[in-house]
Amino acid sequence: MNRLSIVSLVLAAGFASSLMAEVRQPREEGIEARNYVWNEMYPEKLQALKAKGDVQRGQITFEVCQGCHRTGALGRVDGSYPRLAGQHATVLIKQLTDVRAGRRDNPKMYPFADEHVIGPQDIADIALYLQSLPVPPTNGKGPGERLDQAKEMYDANCVSCHGKNGEGDPLKFYPRVSGQHYKYLLREALAIRDGDRRNANPKMVRIIKDYSDADLMALSDYMSRLLLK
Amino acid sequence: MNSLTCRVKNRFFSGAYSCAWGTAAQVACVAVLSLFTAMPALADNAGRVAATICVVCHGADGKSVAPSFPKLAGQQAAYLEKQLVEFVAGKRKNEVMAASLPNIRKDDIPGLASYFAAQKSAPGVVEDKTLARAGRKLYADGNTSTGVPACMGCHQPNGEGNERFPRLAGQHQTYTQQQMADFKNGVRANDKGRIMRAVAERMSAQEVRAVAEYIAGM
Repeated sequence: MNRLSIVSLVLAAGFASSLMAEVRQPREEGIEARNYVWNEMYPEKLQALKAKGDVQRGQITFEVCQGCHRTGALGRVDGSYPRLAGQHATVLIKQLTDVRAGRRDNPKMYPFADEHVIGPQDIADIALYLQSLPVPPTNGKGPGERLDQAKEMYDANCVSCHGKNGEGDPLKFYPRVSGQHYKYLLREALAIRDGDRRNANPKMVRIIKDYSDADLMALSDYMSRLLLK
Repeated sequence: MNSLTCRVKNRFFSGAYSCAWGTAAQVACVAVLSLFTAMPALADNAGRVAATICVVCHGADGKSVAPSFPKLAGQQAAYLEKQLVEFVAGKRKNEVMAASLPNIRKDDIPGLASYFAAQKSAPGVVEDKTLARAGRKLYADGNTSTGVPACMGCHQPNGEGNERFPRLAGQHQTYTQQQMADFKNGVRANDKGRIMRAVAERMSAQEVRAVAEYIAGM
């Protein structure tokens, strides 16, 4: 086989795979990097935060997302997909743009939220729509054990950021945790502690690094039961 | 010609059939034209194309019988229009369709799309109820372990789609399966945002069979 035909074969294979394969998530340095900056304001995030969102447009754009996040963005009790309903728009924009930039690993979601599907304006629209949705108390709860101890831990270490009622802080990009599914809260808490959620806040990682799995189970359970206000 | 005059003219022609209007050739012509009475708001040439070209595979009113040819009746107009535009532009390719494309003018496309969209949809036949039940679960829930979204998120719980996503309900199993295979291997690459290619890549052949079976009965 001459060089030309090898080159054309390689090109053809490359072309075919670009057609075939789903889009792979890129990987950007995160918490593992020495110079990691939490919530760095790269251009897309800024663009989405500055854009004026539109709830009606967001509802339409969200159609692609509801195959997983469900109607009303209520997520799934098994924690496979989080609730997005009622989450702060700023938090949603941070997380979504972090996934798109490859700072939060989510290969499952990536092909449905990448640049082929939505742009910064769509992100702003979706975020505002989701923030406007009601949060019914039908979220998954934990087994209901050690809740008193969990309250002590929460009041000591979590409340200053996530709030007395788990309401978070939209201006500081701290998520609302009340109304979220227990299994999702637990999965993310473990990932944050273990350094697997690469866009996590290093302050939080330090705070929970000595918590046992059982501690995080109790805490997640407690948060899932916080009264929605 | 606007839709009103078109309708009036159609009524005239189909009525003319019974008043012994003329020669055999005219009668035959009228017989073809009487098909138009079922075609509201159809521009002249679009009507001719539907009645002479599309009819061969897709059926006169878009209710194709052959399982490899999609039913068009009741399909979303926006979807039909997008597909026709992209067939003509070569963005979606199909050998059988290719033979008919020289007969379709750009101006006919909106008329063809709204004609087939206005036809009453025809339900398909479920051959394997157990398979359809498995398909129903996938349609409504997806597969959380492999990241397959629920079909109903976009295509709607009743499978009728909307202005942005095509109708699936009642489609032939064979056609649905072929499209999913084409999305998976990249033969079909005109999906919005590459979404269907991502979905198809994550679905097993058995899952596709099951969903296609359920969709046929929707």
